[in-house]
Amino acid sequence: MGVIGYGLGVIGAGLAIGLAAFGATSAMARQPEIQGRAFTVFILASAFTEALGLIGFVVTLIS
Amino acid sequence: MTFLDAFSRLPEAINELVSEFSSAPVVGDLNAGLTQYSFWLLVSALLLAIIVFAFVRKQALVPKGVFVNGVEYLVEYVENDVAKGVVGTDWRRHFPFLATIFFFILINNFVGLVPGMKPGTGAIGCTAALALVTFIYFVYFGCKKHGVIGYIKSLAPAGVMFPMNVFVWVIEVFSLLLRPITLAIRLFCNMFAGHIVMGSFSIMAALFAQPLLEHVSAMNALGALPSVAWLAILLIIYAVELIVAFVQAYVFTVLAAVYIQIAEAEGH
Repeated sequence: MGVIGYGLGVIGAGLAIGLAAFGATSAMARQPEIQGRAFTVFILASAFTEALGLIGFVVTLIS
Repeated sequence: MTFLDAFSRLPEAINELVSEFSSAPVVGDLNAGLTQYSFWLLVSALLLAIIVFAFVRKQALVPKGVFVNGVEYLVEYVENDVAKGVVGTDWRRHFPFLATIFFFILINNFVGLVPGMKPGTGAIGCTAALALVTFIYFVYFGCKKHGVIGYIKSLAPAGVMFPMNVFVWVIEVFSLLLRPITLAIRLFCNMFAGHIVMGSFSIMAALFAQPLLEHVSAMNALGALPSVAWLAILLIIYAVELIVAFVQAYVFTVLAAVYIQIAEAEGH
């Protein structure tokens, strides 16, 4: 049951990382000179969302 | 025993793996003593001290060799990307703290990746301590800059009308108190989950290959085929974990820098 819940929960984190990657790539395509900064912001944003997915993973294992 | 047994034994083996990851005392007991995490924490702190002192001793006007250049590259990376880029004009004062946090987390994460060793940052106590230190640090510098009353007032953005002002202030205080918690949980979950995933794939590879090692037959060889795939996935995840070890140290440092910058900023 917990595993199914984790699977459902990770949909949100997956969508969020996909959106972040989409934003970062389109920003880089429009303005290649911003590549370095955009990548930093992308890593930060994906770390935020990835943490949510990982909390679900750890809670599944612990509970 | 056939390879179908591997499936039935998998949940038990993974439960055993997870229970192995909880803190257990090596010396003394849980209240006063060393757990396996704090042992490797001390080892990596010692390793970091050795690396840094060796670096200082070897430092010259023109850096030579992979070791000196590598450490210098990392130091300059923190200096330019985190301290100068995020903190801004006051970067020189906060650079020692940021660099300390970055190198401490980095060495812990990488020591944890060596098979048989544990990451010091894989225990919630360690990451909570790091996050608490960061929290005290940026609140202290916020209070130093604005005064205690001024800092508490500056949590609410300036230029908001009176009744909304209080409402926004309450939300800002809530998010302020949430920062150390999210810092601690992010780092802990990343290290914990990464090591659990690597452990489960290596257990799967071992379980599927076991019948073939015990008794060589065509059926067992067929059953051991998936373990090649598990091994390949394990290697890929190990490579990802190498990146994660660096990225998590970087993210923790950048967030600490962002919080310091917010605490010291005018009018917020």
